[in-house]
Amino acid sequence: MNSTMTELSSPHTRPVRGVAVTLSGSMALAIVIVAGVGLGARDISPLDVVRALAHAGGADYDAQVLWTERIPRTLLAVLVGASLGSSGLIMQALTLNPLADPGILGVEQGAALFVVSGVVMFHVTGVRAYFWLALAGAAVTAALVYGIGVRTQTGSTTIGLVLAGVAVAAICASATTLLVARDDAANAHLRFWSVGQLTGRAGVLDEIVPFAAAGLLLALPLGRTLNMLNLGEDAAAALGVRVGRARLMCAAVGVLLCASATAAVGPVAFVGLVAAHCARLMIGADHRWALPLSMTCGAVLLCLADIVGRLAGGQGEVQVAVMTALLGTPFFVWLARRGDLVRV
Amino acid sequence: MAVLDPPEAGPPEAGPPGTRPRETSAAAVALLLSRRRRAQARRAAVPAVLLSVLLVGLVAASLLLELRRVPLADVAPAALGLRDGLADYVIFRIRMPRVLAAGLAGALFGISGALYQGLIRNPLATPDIVGVSAGAGAGAITVLVLAPTLPYGTTLAALAGSFLAVGLIHALSWRGGVDTYRLVLVGIGLSAVCTAYTNYLFTIADEHSMDVAMRWLIGSTAGATWQGVRVLAVALAVCLVVARLLTRPLAGIALGDELATGLGTHVPRARMLTLLLGAAAAALATSVVGPIGFVALISGPIAARLAGGDRACALAPLVGAVIVVGADVLAQRAPLVSPVPTGVFTALLGAPYFVHLILRRPNGAPA
Repeated sequence: MNSTMTELSSPHTRPVRGVAVTLSGSMALAIVIVAGVGLGARDISPLDVVRALAHAGGADYDAQVLWTERIPRTLLAVLVGASLGSSGLIMQALTLNPLADPGILGVEQGAALFVVSGVVMFHVTGVRAYFWLALAGAAVTAALVYGIGVRTQTGSTTIGLVLAGVAVAAICASATTLLVARDDAANAHLRFWSVGQLTGRAGVLDEIVPFAAAGLLLALPLGRTLNMLNLGEDAAAALGVRVGRARLMCAAVGVLLCASATAAVGPVAFVGLVAAHCARLMIGADHRWALPLSMTCGAVLLCLADIVGRLAGGQGEVQVAVMTALLGTPFFVWLARRGDLVRV
Repeated sequence: MAVLDPPEAGPPEAGPPGTRPRETSAAAVALLLSRRRRAQARRAAVPAVLLSVLLVGLVAASLLLELRRVPLADVAPAALGLRDGLADYVIFRIRMPRVLAAGLAGALFGISGALYQGLIRNPLATPDIVGVSAGAGAGAITVLVLAPTLPYGTTLAALAGSFLAVGLIHALSWRGGVDTYRLVLVGIGLSAVCTAYTNYLFTIADEHSMDVAMRWLIGSTAGATWQGVRVLAVALAVCLVVARLLTRPLAGIALGDELATGLGTHVPRARMLTLLLGAAAAALATSVVGPIGFVALISGPIAARLAGGDRACALAPLVGAVIVVGADVLAQRAPLVSPVPTGVFTALLGAPYFVHLILRRPNGAPA
């Protein structure tokens, strides 16, 4: 796929293809949700899962496990995955950078640092407060990384942004460790702010839903704006887009999505990267279709990573961020090897 | 660094008195050159002495701060292993191995970074950034979890892991030649995999404590033993000797492969040897103190700034040792935050420097 050409020539996905891909994406999501609810330390057959989903409030043990643990957890994975997927696509479209991802660019680590500072210094509790802290952290970090990334001498801003993200993420992660490391109790409690995980986070679902849903709803109509911005600033301005305002709005929504995901489960990298590329590979660079599809892809990916992590661990579970790193890095390396990425 | 052209050595001709000024100017140039060489040596000697003094001061601080119930008079004998009881325990068994491991590991990280930077000609291509340290850590932790009783298992596994990482990075970033930025990107990806793998191993390990996890994910000198110090000391001695032997071939390669071949260097062999030596230095340091980040990255450029580009390789180990020992003192004794893993402070120090290295410079400024 020649991304430069497709991005420049204002791609339009035909509705038939769009509907077909969206439908298959939704089916994949449904399958993954049923699998995510059914698979685990206690296997429950898909038929029982569907039955339990259809009749809420069953009294037997399986139904209890499903409604208190598996279903909230799977829904949380879907929400977080969708947020990260669309956040990744928005960041890639805004920076014209195929390696952009809220985790790789350090935005999630910045959000996590702000949350941990709030918890340790001001004794903040509750996911709602976490969200506002995460939002502030994500916004500051995103601005910082972007500011450094476009001023690098690395030949292309693609690489400059990634390197800036690595440096800022290292600083944020170290500062987070600094805040939590001296206290074993705090460390055990706050550990998921350094490695994102879904284990035991099912309870935050109803608190994070408003924020995540608001972010996803705000993101949906941005596809057309992103398409026009990708034509270049002059062309977009000629088409009646107020470029500065549009870019700022898209960036704000991307940061909001990333912040709600981080506030819910901690930093999870590579989901946005892979989801955005999968969406574009399947449906082309028309963001009106690619944006909703990137949400679906992100949700499927995060659920899959969670299922694999649940089944792969010996006595415990492998944190979902570890699984996404293992699944996403080969993809990252493959992208980094592509000829059009690195200026030789 | 600009090399001054040698003065034109004209044939000595017995000429009329008019040639006298020419001879004088040749002698002046010779004098200038020798002065310049001496000035360079002085320029390298001053920072070397200052760094040594700083290192000694930091080691003393690491040994002496917050002694509480050990009398100051017992410290010197205890450091040599001549006392019993509390002084022996605190100084000889806990603090000495720790500070020695920090200094030796820092020196090894410094060498490995300077070697890679000298070979690849890019300040970002150091073992800690491109994932060689992370590979070594992943190798060591594999043995630690799966076969903890193997003698020198972590050391050998760290070496194997780092060589594997070098091979993988080279193979994955090869595309009709290696672009240094592609190398760095691939290395960042590889680091992420190794960190994820280390995290995964902690999940399946029978028992794991926060200390051990911190050490292998962030790098920490806590829990260093005399056996680790011995491994590091031998490694440092060997690496210093081999690195000294590689100075001339590396200087040749810096001028271009053809010229280096013309000067009698077997370029592919020298390149391979440098890559493996740098990886081995980083791996051996990692096998004792974990993947302490950003030391290899910043030691070389700091040494170059202090002593000039040619002598950076010689000064880098000293700079690395100062950085790690200093970070370790901070990590143990800093008010409010300590104790934390050593790698936290090297990252807080090194990551801003990393940003400084990638920022665009005004035209003409040296990199």
